[in-house]
Amino acid sequence: MDDVAARDNLSRGVEFLLTRTPLGVLVGWVARVRASVHTKLLVAFLVISVLFIAMAGVSLRTIVRTAAQSLKMHEAHERVEWSQEIDHALARQMHFTALALLVRDEASVARILRENNRFNSTLARLEAVGTPEERELIQQIRARQDDVMNAVADIANAIRDGRLDQAQADLLGRQERAYQEIEALVGRLVQLKNTQMLALKHSVEDSNFRSVVLTACFAALSIVLALLCGFVISWSCILPLRRAQEFLGAVGAGDFGATITVPNRDEFGAQAARMNQMSSELGRLIEEQRRAAAELRELNARLEQASRAKSEFLANMSHELRTPMNAILGFTEMMRDNLYGQVPPDLQEPLTDIQTNGRHLLGLINDVLDLSKIEAGRMELSLQEYLVPDLVDAVRVSLRSLAVERGLDLVTQVPPDLPTAYGDARRLTQCLMNLTGNALKFTKEGRVEIAVELDGDDLIYRVTDTGIGIAKEDLERVFDEFRQVDSTTIRDFAGTGLGLSITKKFIEMHGGRIWVDSEPGQGSTFHFAVPLRVEGTP
Amino acid sequence: MSQPTVLYVEDNEYNRKIVRHLLSRTGYRLREAADGEAGLRMVADERPDLVLMDVQLPKMSGLDATRALRGDPSTADIPIIVVTSFALSGDDRRAMEAGATAYLAKPYSPRELLALIQKHLPETTRQEESR
Repeated sequence: MDDVAARDNLSRGVEFLLTRTPLGVLVGWVARVRASVHTKLLVAFLVISVLFIAMAGVSLRTIVRTAAQSLKMHEAHERVEWSQEIDHALARQMHFTALALLVRDEASVARILRENNRFNSTLARLEAVGTPEERELIQQIRARQDDVMNAVADIANAIRDGRLDQAQADLLGRQERAYQEIEALVGRLVQLKNTQMLALKHSVEDSNFRSVVLTACFAALSIVLALLCGFVISWSCILPLRRAQEFLGAVGAGDFGATITVPNRDEFGAQAARMNQMSSELGRLIEEQRRAAAELRELNARLEQASRAKSEFLANMSHELRTPMNAILGFTEMMRDNLYGQVPPDLQEPLTDIQTNGRHLLGLINDVLDLSKIEAGRMELSLQEYLVPDLVDAVRVSLRSLAVERGLDLVTQVPPDLPTAYGDARRLTQCLMNLTGNALKFTKEGRVEIAVELDGDDLIYRVTDTGIGIAKEDLERVFDEFRQVDSTTIRDFAGTGLGLSITKKFIEMHGGRIWVDSEPGQGSTFHFAVPLRVEGTP
Repeated sequence: MSQPTVLYVEDNEYNRKIVRHLLSRTGYRLREAADGEAGLRMVADERPDLVLMDVQLPKMSGLDATRALRGDPSTADIPIIVVTSFALSGDDRRAMEAGATAYLAKPYSPRELLALIQKHLPETTRQEESR
């Protein structure tokens, strides 16, 4: 839960950045750059690398500058030391001069000269690196020093000549004054150097501070730029991915023809273009399919209408056909009943033929009417209670003469304790009559058996013959309309070919089913199962 | 008035002829009408003892005519045999609902028709016939 909330907050933050700040514009701009994602990523990484290299450079420069400052400080220290050395040398000169006067020894004078040399060489070093102001000071010092040296020479001569008073006076007068002057000058030099060093120290401190600030600023700037770079480049890739996700979601949910727009002109742009192509193709296909379905529906409706019109036509035709059939069969029967006087013997046979063929024609008309009514959806079952033995007996009685005529045994087997059934007894009689009639027609010798049994809530009627049987490939088609096993059988066994298909439909209207087991030459068994009491039982 | 009168309402000439020929050998008197309205008029004029009524008739169907006869107290008791167009079409049920005494499906056997007429003629006319 917390994870989800955190992610929501994150995405809200990103949303804000993308919509309310110029970052969004920048992301769009990067997306529109006509370059591959590979190139863009490479450039971004290069930019970040360059930034860090530059930062390293700045740091290096700071280090170098700091080192240079340190060197300068060192030099300044050295010069201050040198100045102090001059100071010391001067003191020692004065000390040795005083000592020479005291001990009246020429060796001490030599020491003074040695100190003078050291003084001069240090002075020369200072002069070499000094500023113009310092040089001027050094010149003055040197001039005074020359005076001192002259005084020293005079003092040395006075000592050698034994003019000690003269020497003492010189020392106290000329030399002492000159030394004091030099001391003052050297003091100024030392002060100057100290001031310089102090100034240098401040400047080094300032410079170091500036370096630290600059480096910190640069580091901060680099990090900000790197983050910016990463943000922009990644969101220029993530945004089209998100759009693609939304788009695919929409298409997946069935919105074919949805479009995706991304500002990218890279691989994502190409992908979006492909997706749009796919979507429009899908949309086109679905539109085409809808149109085709609509056309099919319309065609279907027209066909249904045509089929209904055909069925109605057939129903009407059947009725129109039956009226003259009534007259033909009626007059024939009355003639055979000798209503018009005794029929001559040689007319008996043709009259019987007229009656037989008339009845057959009537059977055909009835079949056509039944089927057309079923197809027109105008066939209704007339449900009532009936007794199965009565039904089977009616069929047996009706077909007994046909069985005798064909030399076949017609036997029935009905359990005596069957409960009262409920259904359209006349239609079921018609079905059983049809199957039994077929069995008699297609059997040359042997027997035809009608058997009934109760299986749970279903009544199973079975008609078994010892006839020609049905080939395996024809088994599925026997219930089709206008079908007999082969065209030659039609000649032998007159029939419309509608009987089985009508039977099947009546049985299905009862909520039952019909099937057949058969082997050519071994005979056939037609079974049909209907509910003992069909739905609508009172 | 010893002969029972049978009225046959039927538009087909040949079917009327069958019944005419069939009844000519019996003691029945036959009256014929070619449509439903004519049939009703003839019932009023002739007061037949039995009506044979076809279902499909011009002007007024046999079922409507049957209902009209049953609705009129003066004719409500006359036996009516409705000749339906087809036994399995549902006309039989409709005929009985309309008030038919019996029904017979076309094409009918003249023999059966005669038996049915004899069965449904009122007792009084049959007694007269037997006399």
